[in-house]
Amino acid sequence: MTGAVDRHAGTIGVVAFVLIWELAARLVWRDPGVLPAPTQALAEAWTVLTWDVLLGHVGISLFRILAGFSIAAVLGMALGLACGWFRGLSLALRPLVELLRPIPPLAWIPIAIVWFGLGEPSKIFVIALGAFFPIFTNAYRGITMVSPVLFRAARTMDVDGLRLLWRVAVPAAMPDMATGLRVGFGLSFGILVAAELIAAERGMGHLIMEARQLGHLGVSIFGILLIGVVSMLADHQLGAAIRRTVGRWARV
Amino acid sequence: MGRRLHHWLPLLVPTLVFVVLLGSWEWAVAQGWLRRLLFPPPTKLFASAVELARDGVPLGKTLLDHLLITIARIFGGFAAAVALAIPLGLVIGASPFLDRMMAPIVGFCRSVATLSLLPLALVWFGIGEASKIFLIGYGCFWVMLSNVIAAMRLVDPVLLRAARTMDTKPLRTFTHVVLPAALPRIAAGARIALGVGFMVIVGAEMIGTTMGLGALIMEARTFYRTDVTMVGMVTIGLLGLAISLSLSQLERRLMPWMPAHSGAGP
Repeated sequence: MTGAVDRHAGTIGVVAFVLIWELAARLVWRDPGVLPAPTQALAEAWTVLTWDVLLGHVGISLFRILAGFSIAAVLGMALGLACGWFRGLSLALRPLVELLRPIPPLAWIPIAIVWFGLGEPSKIFVIALGAFFPIFTNAYRGITMVSPVLFRAARTMDVDGLRLLWRVAVPAAMPDMATGLRVGFGLSFGILVAAELIAAERGMGHLIMEARQLGHLGVSIFGILLIGVVSMLADHQLGAAIRRTVGRWARV
Repeated sequence: MGRRLHHWLPLLVPTLVFVVLLGSWEWAVAQGWLRRLLFPPPTKLFASAVELARDGVPLGKTLLDHLLITIARIFGGFAAAVALAIPLGLVIGASPFLDRMMAPIVGFCRSVATLSLLPLALVWFGIGEASKIFLIGYGCFWVMLSNVIAAMRLVDPVLLRAARTMDTKPLRTFTHVVLPAALPRIAAGARIALGVGFMVIVGAEMIGTTMGLGALIMEARTFYRTDVTMVGMVTIGLLGLAISLSLSQLERRLMPWMPAHSGAGP
């Protein structure tokens, strides 16, 4: 019996949490305009939202994330690896990166709007920028921390130049790059929501803001939970993909 | 000679790159290749920084006013989060069952985007200070909580067994063994949490307020003062840098017995 309770501790926790919320909302607050119960939030979302509208919001948000994150991943990994491999480039480029890094991604939103207008490019720019830094740093660190033993072993086998980079250094740096990708991906979700709250006509962030203005707080809560679920699922997928690829030769 | 050059190179090249970059930026604007409104040149930025610090643009509040408001909000939310998360985390971390029970909730609440709670915060706390502090507090709290729990779970069991063989009372074990062993990780968690709070505040200040650095850069944009926006961004960056540097200094001062750079990211 205790074994069963122990095994399902997580489930018990979640159920207890939802139950407490439900009871508190229905018995203590009693005002769905202030704190809707989970069932009330779901019911409200069910009546207010249609599948088309909901999928439209989720779709545009995912598009922004994927676009921004892909740019960040390509640029971050390429530049990070290049900086780690070519010392001269690192001397010139890394101080610039370090100079810009302390500025939080969200602080770029106003300037992005000035540069790119209110459309998609400004959001994609801010997401790409935010995800770039952890990806770059981890790629750089990964390749500079590759054990010299690997290089010496490769050289005795006459592997040199770009082949050394591609066949030895990059695979050895992969676990660090994977970490960077994951951190960057997590960041891009937070940035997306902020960008959509501040300046967007569509997207999950806009959905929750608009719902509040229309007085549908339940829909807002539904949207908040939806963003959490989507980001968790996406992170899970990314983690699984990393384990499938990098996991074959390194522990990630 | 070659040795000396080698020694100075890591300092010389970045400075050179930086100077060349600023110079060509200034030049490109003067030539009309970059639009002045979109890329105000460095000399203009410097003038704006002085103007902002002395007179305050666009709304008559100086840079220092904005800075102090932002700092007060960050520390308000951060302090509340730490004060709640440490006792709660110590209790949850002390019991494997509680830990497993809470793990999905903590994990989920961490992955909820903090700023997405803004509409709720507005309903619950209005558009004043309380809603900003709530958002920062939320962001800091879950990061802090999961780090405190992890710190408790990762205390070396050898230490606990050693304490038990010496017949140490549970309370004494806690204060003299568990806490000192967990403290570095808790401190690392606090550092990460403060970083999260810093991220959140900039976004939170962009909606429904005219005070604070986030509001400053957003307001300046609507007044077509891109230069002020850029000065504000640099100020935010410097503030972030100052916070993280002083925190790692503090850590080293308070806990000289352990290298404390560990902990899970946001």
